[in-house]
Amino acid sequence: MIICSNVAKSYPMGHARKRVLNGINFHVSPGDRVALLGRNGAGKTTLIKLIGGVEMPTSGRIRREMTVSWPLGFNGGFQGSLTGYDNARFIARIYGRDYPDLREFVEDFTELGRQLRMPVKTYSSGMKARLAFGLSLAIEFDCYLIDEIMMVGDQNFQRKCHVELFDKRGDRALIFASHSHGMVREMCSRALVLHNGDGTMYDDIDEALTIYDAL
Amino acid sequence: MAGAEDFMETGGWRRRRNPRNTTSRLVSGWRIQIGVIRALMTRELITRFGRENIGFLWVMVEPLLFAGLVGVVWTFMRGSSEHGGISTAAFVATGYIPLTFFRHAVSRAVGLFSANSSLMYHRQVQVLDFVLVRFLIELIGAMMAFLFIGALFHVLGLMPIPVYPGYLLAGFALYSLFTFSLCLILAPLSERSEVIEKLIPVTTYIMIPFSGTFTMNSWLAPQAQQYMVYSPFVDAMEMIRYGVFGDLVEPIYDPVVPLVASMLLMAVGLALCRQVRRRLIVE
Repeated sequence: MIICSNVAKSYPMGHARKRVLNGINFHVSPGDRVALLGRNGAGKTTLIKLIGGVEMPTSGRIRREMTVSWPLGFNGGFQGSLTGYDNARFIARIYGRDYPDLREFVEDFTELGRQLRMPVKTYSSGMKARLAFGLSLAIEFDCYLIDEIMMVGDQNFQRKCHVELFDKRGDRALIFASHSHGMVREMCSRALVLHNGDGTMYDDIDEALTIYDAL
Repeated sequence: MAGAEDFMETGGWRRRRNPRNTTSRLVSGWRIQIGVIRALMTRELITRFGRENIGFLWVMVEPLLFAGLVGVVWTFMRGSSEHGGISTAAFVATGYIPLTFFRHAVSRAVGLFSANSSLMYHRQVQVLDFVLVRFLIELIGAMMAFLFIGALFHVLGLMPIPVYPGYLLAGFALYSLFTFSLCLILAPLSERSEVIEKLIPVTTYIMIPFSGTFTMNSWLAPQAQQYMVYSPFVDAMEMIRYGVFGDLVEPIYDPVVPLVASMLLMAVGLALCRQVRRRLIVE
């Protein structure tokens, strides 16, 4: 379970504060696949960062009773000046994993080949997505936090993700921020629509997408 | 923290095992932090020094050059021996290595949370780890430089084998502890105000006369001595010098001063770190 109760976040903006989230309440059970919907700037990334423990909520509580991945997105999680292998070794060490096993999985999943010996800052977003997914799949979490990044992958990558996340790891939970109707429909069973700092949970994806389209 | 509870020795990160009592939670948390600190140190050494030529040994080159070259210059300026027949070069080296260590550690503590913020993506990495890792790297560099220059000067007949190794170690430990407590305060403060960052270089320069680097306390006027004892650096330096040169010097120090000062600063520093972590904005 992940339980968010009254989670609020505000950022300093000049002398005032900008409230991004006004008190979000929801929970994610094992195996739940939750989509986060909302316009640009609605707070999807902020909420994912709070759930992942990257930033702290201004008020409210987040309880994690299952293991949660770091947010897989366009930023963070990597050191750009280090190579793909160095990043993999670092991740293996801090998560207490065996590096040779992890490396083998990452080589196989990412298909990046010699590029893994290059600094991560030279990677395209698609390549970064492959590396981020490869590493977090190798660590094995109960819940994966995915912030848009799957969109940038090619067909081959999206197919691989599908196999790894749905066929092999169908029991895992997923929190997935996306603007793609197709992916949300295909992957998620519930949706949280964020608007003006408030979040509403819908058990019907089509209803949530209709509301989201009208925003 | 949540990260600590998620971790276990076997079976990776999937099934969560709830450590039954506080002790085993402490042990597992401790084990994770050790692993994280090792990984962070390796990462920091690779990003700073690379894998080319001598690699991380560069960490001791700068203190070594500082101590060696200033020692040579002073030997020409002030003659080859100080009070009590101590070699000028050896005296300068014993003072300069801790001083460069302190100055580097403090300057590397500035802005370190922002610089490392992308690591906050991994919950088992704590902000204190950042402070500790940068401090430890400078400490290791300083210790290696001290050992290297000590061995070299001993071969050249300039420095004795430390007469009281216990005093040397205790002095060095107090010097390091006080430096660490300053890092712990300056790291969070520098995130909150840019003024701090601008003031640090001039402050570390102004404080050199109060750092015990170039004089023994006993060489000063008695009125000055009683105030110098309140400088934690002076107390630690006196102990280091007494440890190395033994009864050739006459130390005037109070070990309680650096100890109490460090404890107080660390308490404040820990609170500040916690506050900054809550507000830290990660890209």
